[in-house]
Amino acid sequence: MASEDEEFTMLFQDFYPSLCRFLECLLGGRAPLAQDLAQESFLQLHRTAWGTLPDGEARFWLYRVARNMAINEFRKSNTRYRLFDRVVEAMRPRARNPEQEYETQERQTLVLEMLQTLPEDQRTALLLREQEQLSYREIGQVLNISESKVKVDIFRARAALRERWSKRVKTVGASAS
Amino acid sequence: MNCIFTEKVSSLIDGELSQTETREVERHLMSCVECQEMRADFLSLRTRITNFETSLQPTVQNRALKKILATQRRAPALGFQWSFGKAVAFASLLIIAAISGFVVYQGSKSTQTGSSVAVNTPTPVPSSTVQQHQRPQADASPAPKKENEETTQPRQTPSAPKRKIVREPRPGEQFAAIPEPPARPADARPADAETMTAMHFEKSETLLRSFRNFRLNEAGSATEVSYERTRAQQLVYQNMMLRREADARGDVQVASLLETLEPILLDISNLPDKPDTDAVRVIRERVERKNIVALLKVNSIALARANDD
Repeated sequence: MASEDEEFTMLFQDFYPSLCRFLECLLGGRAPLAQDLAQESFLQLHRTAWGTLPDGEARFWLYRVARNMAINEFRKSNTRYRLFDRVVEAMRPRARNPEQEYETQERQTLVLEMLQTLPEDQRTALLLREQEQLSYREIGQVLNISESKVKVDIFRARAALRERWSKRVKTVGASAS
Repeated sequence: MNCIFTEKVSSLIDGELSQTETREVERHLMSCVECQEMRADFLSLRTRITNFETSLQPTVQNRALKKILATQRRAPALGFQWSFGKAVAFASLLIIAAISGFVVYQGSKSTQTGSSVAVNTPTPVPSSTVQQHQRPQADASPAPKKENEETTQPRQTPSAPKRKIVREPRPGEQFAAIPEPPARPADARPADAETMTAMHFEKSETLLRSFRNFRLNEAGSATEVSYERTRAQQLVYQNMMLRREADARGDVQVASLLETLEPILLDISNLPDKPDTDAVRVIRERVERKNIVALLKVNSIALARANDD
């Protein structure tokens, strides 16, 4: 039991931050909600599936469950503005100097804004590829779709982001001049 | 995006093409400016998305872990198993009762119908036969009932110990669950930031040693670094969080060590599946130059000692 707990703790420490990051990007930067959902996913894993999954499956299981929870959250609160999230985000302790913090914040906001323009399935596939370094086969396993669909989704997501990025650069350039 | 290779460029940077296709696309890239630009843009996008930092704080992570491990102590899963077990036992009892009832009923029916046929044959009116046919059924019902009672009694006797078996572990389980908690916090990893930092240093040290020591292939050929890369990817997020935490509490020594470590972890995690030996060598040289393995060792030991005290 103790060793099971230890194994679970190791898995948690290895993947909880990355699951939070994945959910944060998926949910458009709603960090507290992302952390709650990540915790809920691990909780479900611990309660129901831990020990029953084949080796190496837990990670995919987590991403699948977390993504489903995020989709439910979209449906539930798509129109609701989460003031609490914003307040928590504003109160978050910031360690770096203000300039650095501002730059990072800007960069992060831009990435989130861009990602939010993508359809959910493309965004998820791209995040799993870029941030979690999953292969097409593994992404297909998580999202329950074929490898070729994963390939197309990722390509479309990249192409769309590239286009939006270049448009943005052009508008920023035009307004600066 | 008029070039037919555009989609393949995406798969190329993901390492999802076969060797032949890879060679073909790379050859094409040498001559196609559009695809070259696309590859550069895709890689730039990748860097932006990969560098996204989560705002997770180590304290939040530790709290979440504690909460999850504590939930298991209440053992809702086990509770479910017992209730499920009870349900299964109850269902099997019902099935056994139904089957034996049916068998007994069939047996009594065959004997009753045999006698009723002997009685009924002289009666010419069908209505009475119907009544008589119904009667034996009605009459027969008490008999199986009696038999059922007889059969249920032996069934109840096994069911009683069965229930006991199902119930007995419950209090036992609670007892097992209640005394365990004091022992478990010791099993669970200590949750403070210093311990996490010490563990992180240890893990990073192991990774960098492994990265420093594996044998490079000759003549600049590809080297398999997928394990090191995955490990670095896992560690880099934690590194970011711990650095932020160390900054916040003003621990300059730890913060600067984590700051030195971070780009190295990032470089390793951004290596392709089979990087050139040169790329690996450059990172190795940086590791050596910064003397980071020794620093990690010293600091992890110091932190571990501080925690022991």
